[in-house]
Amino acid sequence: MQLALTEMRRAKLRFGLLTGAVSLLVFLVLLLTTLSGALVGALTGALEGLRTDGLAYSQTARDNISASRLPADTVDAVAAVSGVSAAAGIATLTTGAAVAGESLDVQVFGVALDGPGAPSGLQNGRLPTTDGEAAVDGSVSLGDVITLDPSGVQLTVVGLLRGAQFNAIPTAYTTLGTYDAIVRASFDNLPFVPINAVAFTVADDASISDVVAAIERAVPGVSAYSLADAVALIPGIESISQSFGILVGLTFIIGIVVIGFFFLILTVQKLKAFTLLRAIGTSSGRLALSVSLQIAIVVLLASVIAVALTFLAVQSLNTGLPVNLNVATIITTVLAVLVFSLLSGLLSVRRIVRLDPATAVGAR
Amino acid sequence: MSEQDATTADMGPDPLIDADQRPTALLQVRDVTKVYGTGHTAVTALQTATMSVEQGEFVALVGPSGSGKTTLISIIGGLLAPTTGSVHIGDIDVTALSRKELTRFRAERVGFVFQSANLVPFLTARENLLYVAGLIGSSKSGARARADQLLEELGLADRAKNLPEQLSGGERQRVAIGRALMNDPDLVLVDEPTAALDTALGRQVVQLLGREVKDRGKTGIMVTHDLRMVEYTDRVFQILDGHLTHVESSTGAGH
Repeated sequence: MQLALTEMRRAKLRFGLLTGAVSLLVFLVLLLTTLSGALVGALTGALEGLRTDGLAYSQTARDNISASRLPADTVDAVAAVSGVSAAAGIATLTTGAAVAGESLDVQVFGVALDGPGAPSGLQNGRLPTTDGEAAVDGSVSLGDVITLDPSGVQLTVVGLLRGAQFNAIPTAYTTLGTYDAIVRASFDNLPFVPINAVAFTVADDASISDVVAAIERAVPGVSAYSLADAVALIPGIESISQSFGILVGLTFIIGIVVIGFFFLILTVQKLKAFTLLRAIGTSSGRLALSVSLQIAIVVLLASVIAVALTFLAVQSLNTGLPVNLNVATIITTVLAVLVFSLLSGLLSVRRIVRLDPATAVGAR
Repeated sequence: MSEQDATTADMGPDPLIDADQRPTALLQVRDVTKVYGTGHTAVTALQTATMSVEQGEFVALVGPSGSGKTTLISIIGGLLAPTTGSVHIGDIDVTALSRKELTRFRAERVGFVFQSANLVPFLTARENLLYVAGLIGSSKSGARARADQLLEELGLADRAKNLPEQLSGGERQRVAIGRALMNDPDLVLVDEPTAALDTALGRQVVQLLGREVKDRGKTGIMVTHDLRMVEYTDRVFQILDGHLTHVESSTGAGH
């Protein structure tokens, strides 16, 4: 061990440059993972954060909440299904809006704020308690007034949410009554305002899959999903997630291979010294351990730098996405880089184990 | 089980450790042949070589390039396995040791002075000595005292903290001699110690080497193509085309 540490101390520049290069690779993996997570989160956050066990859409909606239309009395029909403990409507539309002279798009959700389908992720303020109030995930402040276009309905921001965006645009959660007013402002002769979905919770003694099947049997024209399934089935999410997975995975693999090559180059440069060490009685296991220790130290130091760089990048990048540094993601990524770097270090170890100490005296 | 434990178990009553209780160290090389390659490409580097060297003797192995002298010294030092024949150092049959046992054997019983790439480049002179002591688990304080004493005797006390690149060729060879003696080995094997030195410095290094080997009662074998250096050895062996012969007894050994 002492040998590995002494060498690193004596070759600060070499190991410093190596640590810098590895930290950039780890930074790239961390940033890509974080940004892709943020983008997928911005697409799905609104549904993922709903306080509900499952959602029911119209059968014709093809898994898409925005395309789903249900009469309001579907809520009672779902609530009456055995195993459902509570149900409430969710209505949503995309509309233009203005806040303090700034125009923006906003996805308005009308939900039962004290029942299934209420949002989570409240960072500041409170959820709406009366018509005309909204909890918002977007670039607004408490007390701001959002004027919806073309309805002219005004929403006062009483709560700030995080991780509750939908299709990567800001969301405003308000009462179903306010949602009715928004729709009727444009279509005042509607016999009723349809809802998009029914959120339902499941009784303690029932399973979500049984309840989903029971709702589909009992309520005609309805497709029911567990919340996880509803999120996974958002149109395009699967291919987007897979694409990001491939991107992050490839970056990770390339990074690991490059780290492996870095250490192999270092090893090849030191073959004379390693041969000498083998000749004077150092076991190949001891040398392999020494190289592995150096890989572990370099990767861990590089990871610390990479996490700091990612933190700075997340602070300074203005992507409009709810970018969060996820501790679990960081730990998983760093551990994966460490483990796979040590595995790629086997290239170097293999080279060392195959060294013939007799070459120290030129006997071959 | 550690490599050291495994080796000890394999070798019975730990003949590598009880240096003080060993009988007189005596190198015996019997009918050693080394053939590289097979079939049509086979090359015989060493042909039934036989020699013995007593404890306290410093002998020279001379011969032209490619004659087999490096092969022989490598087999004696446990770096290379012979095709046939045996090598005994004291009561140990070197040719019967496993790869792991050979590694430990080299650390404990053999001191090497190589022609080039002789020192670990990122360790200071003193650390190069301490490193080999660490290989056999010597106590740190004992090893430090011995390293300082050896460096002092070799005239390197003021160079102890220098890296090899900061030392002259002669100083580097002297550090290598110190390292070779550090673990109090039975056998000191020296490969062309003067190759990178001028004649005067070469003589000085070989003289020092001979004196250290003899004063400490070690057995030393020096491979050299420089016949001027044999005057510092007790006996001279010659290899020609893989055939080993005992040429003469030298005079003035160790002077």
